[in-house]
Amino acid sequence: MSDIIVNGMSFSLPLFIIAVGGIYSERSGVTNLALEGFLGAGAFFGAVFTALTAGMFAATSQLPMYLSMVVAMAGGALYAVIHAVLCIKFKANQVISGVVVNILAMALTDFLTSQINAGVLGQSSDKFVLNVSTRLTFQPLASLPVIGGFFTNVYPFEFIIIAVAVVAWYAMYKTRFGMRLRACGDNPYAVDAAGCNVARIQFIAVMVSGALSGLGGMCFAYSVFGNFSTSIYTGYGYLAIAAMIFGNWKIPATLGACLLFGFARAAGYSLIQYLGLPGAYSDLIMILPYVLTLLLLMFFSKNNRAPRALGEIYDKGKR
Amino acid sequence: MSEYIVEMRHVTKRFPGIVANDDVSLGIKKGEIFALLGENGAGKSTLMSILFGMYEPDEGEVYVRGKKVEHFSPNHATAMNIGMVHQHFKLVSNYTVTENIILGMEPQKRLGGFLPVVDIKNTNQKIADLSKKFRLEVEPTKKIEDLNVSMQQRVEILKMLYREAEILIFDEPTAVLTPQEIEFLLDIIREMRRNGKTIILITHKLEEIKQVADRCAILNRGKVVGICDVAETSTKKMAELMVGREVSFTQEKSPFRPGEVKLTVDHLVVKNADGFPVVNDVSFSVRGGEIFAIAGVAGNGQVEIADAVAGLTKVSSGTITLGGKEITDAAVRARNRQGLAYIPEDRQSWGLILDFTLSENLLLRRYDQEPYCVKGVLHREKFDEKSRQLIEQFDIRSGQGEKTVVRSMSGGNQQKAIVAREIDQDAPCIIFVQPTRGLDIGAIENIHRQILEERAKGKAILLVSLELDEIMSLADTIGVIYNGQLLKIAPADTMSTNEVGQYMMGVKE
Ligand SMILES: Nc1ncnc2c1ncn2[C@@H]1O[C@H](COP(=O)(O)OP(=O)(O)O)[C@@H](O)[C@H]1O
Ligand SMILES: [Mg+2]
Repeated sequence: MSDIIVNGMSFSLPLFIIAVGGIYSERSGVTNLALEGFLGAGAFFGAVFTALTAGMFAATSQLPMYLSMVVAMAGGALYAVIHAVLCIKFKANQVISGVVVNILAMALTDFLTSQINAGVLGQSSDKFVLNVSTRLTFQPLASLPVIGGFFTNVYPFEFIIIAVAVVAWYAMYKTRFGMRLRACGDNPYAVDAAGCNVARIQFIAVMVSGALSGLGGMCFAYSVFGNFSTSIYTGYGYLAIAAMIFGNWKIPATLGACLLFGFARAAGYSLIQYLGLPGAYSDLIMILPYVLTLLLLMFFSKNNRAPRALGEIYDKGKR
Repeated sequence: MSEYIVEMRHVTKRFPGIVANDDVSLGIKKGEIFALLGENGAGKSTLMSILFGMYEPDEGEVYVRGKKVEHFSPNHATAMNIGMVHQHFKLVSNYTVTENIILGMEPQKRLGGFLPVVDIKNTNQKIADLSKKFRLEVEPTKKIEDLNVSMQQRVEILKMLYREAEILIFDEPTAVLTPQEIEFLLDIIREMRRNGKTIILITHKLEEIKQVADRCAILNRGKVVGICDVAETSTKKMAELMVGREVSFTQEKSPFRPGEVKLTVDHLVVKNADGFPVVNDVSFSVRGGEIFAIAGVAGNGQVEIADAVAGLTKVSSGTITLGGKEITDAAVRARNRQGLAYIPEDRQSWGLILDFTLSENLLLRRYDQEPYCVKGVLHREKFDEKSRQLIEQFDIRSGQGEKTVVRSMSGGNQQKAIVAREIDQDAPCIIFVQPTRGLDIGAIENIHRQILEERAKGKAILLVSLELDEIMSLADTIGVIYNGQLLKIAPADTMSTNEVGQYMMGVKE
């Protein structure tokens, strides 16, 4: 049981922060299928940073991990500019732009990873190895029955994610900026009439989306994979989108969706281990969250309401 | 300083293919209600959008309080205390009234001394006070999507007042309102004048101008054709200036010569999503050469009847027969082929594809037939040829003829396009739902004439309208609907306007 909680949390939270990124973009009216590309590109920047600065820190230092997360956020935001420019400046179809951005991220990071490995680090590899994150166990809470799992083997990044998510929630629901952002997703013309710059708000929203995805991607790199390679593009971005939709584009509900997905996945793994099934079955478990998504969407999508102006190309002159 | 709070001098604004405002000069005095009258497409909205800073004039100058306007943007206009209620409201549907009003200038408070948060609670009270002062009766905490059109409009008004607007522009505010709501709005407008505000009222309804306005400028095809004192000018004179020719308020109607029954509706029941019968056991028939009009207060099921006949809503029970063939469950296209043309209530969502050209829209019913489509290939030049003929015949005005994107056309001309397309099918039965909603006198006259011409050709016409005047002047037979039931069916000449009105309220019998 404790295992399920530990694994569930360490998967759910990065997924959650990526989904929050998606919420930022989509609540501002910009469809975002590019989360996968954002998280990959962000993690790539973070990983390059750790690889290049590896000599400057002691092998056991945790500092590079924290720094790499900052770099991943900046990198994700930077990469998101592509999507923002295509969708907002050039008014491209947002779905197409998202897909293109994903494909581009995968190809580009794959290529650059081997090039940097060969050219700068002098080794032939298609991945950047990351050092191991410490994990924290809080006694005596960890010894509590059942909920002890929440305090056992916790990745430090889980706290960072929770803190960032709280800030993101505050900014979206309590501040001027958030109020305008959400208004853009419903009726950008109203925001324009109120004297605000719709394009700027959406641009920032997409960049925030990139930053949060980058953070999530870096956390995945440290927890699920332990390195950076293109294996990071395994559909978690799309899973985050599913969580966002299932969470009805709201931050708290999306957290619920992510926890559900994460725990379903972790429970599946535990089950396989318990039954002693061969490794091939774990692939089957990987699809569990997706199957769950499909089922849930089938039953709940009726109550779901996407932002009204989502995906609509905002054109000032249009009447 | 001149006597005018707003002055426009030789303002010209061009759009591709059209001069929307042509050398317009006018002055508006402080504290008056100034009306801007003109047909659809005359350039009223454009002119006032310039004052509100949404467009920059190509030529000419605008002065506000004697000072020349240098920068055109809504922000600058707001800073000069100018506010505008647009024809299409600009409201965020999932926000409350207060949130909508403060959007763009949200008051902040500091949580715990440093965290900035938008202060909604205190603002709610302020807005409630403002609403009370101008008798708007708006609740600040309600969500926009739960409000009706009239309420939403008052939210827009509050938005201007909250921004301390002194010059308030209303772009066709009554087009979407019921008669009672119009009265209410005109009272609000008077109340604002009492409070010293200057009001610019764009409209094409003469009675409203007569009721509230002090002075009135009349636009025709972009030009000012007259500025008059409302009290001293007759309605007829204003109408003529506006349309640019003599207008007749009543149409010549040929004698009633009914043919055989073309459309029969028998014991029709239509239920809404909640299973409530919005049309309840309705039976009637329409003969060739007859205009059968359904009168009723909005929301009593009249639109559902039309939709059921056209195939847009599911019939719960009962039958619909067209030209001797039952079509109760037939597909829309099949009904079409069977000889049914339909002019829907909501022209923008059901009648037109707004981002297609006029030519494409005019051929939506025929694009797959020869000669427009031969062996699966469309022939655009045939589209255009046909369109030019219809544009000519129905007097459809637009910037770039058949190549105009329909979205950029005025409402009246959009409606003419639908009417042209549907009439051109030469179907034996035509349904008109609110055919003249939101149109100006010129366009109304045009459409009424088309309807009567079709009647003279022996078509069976089902007319659904909320305008009692329209029904009284066109109908041969009137059915009055109340609560989903036809309370009364009688020849038009046996009923007075008053009687029909009483049935509409459900009071008679
Ligand atoms: N943004 C625009 N682009 C192109 N043409 C326009 C635009 N806005 C208005 N027009 C055209 O300018 C003319 C005047 O329009 P408008 O000011 O809306 O008229 P009104 O408000 O009097 O009905 C119309 O022919 C309309 O098609
Ligand atoms: Mg207009």
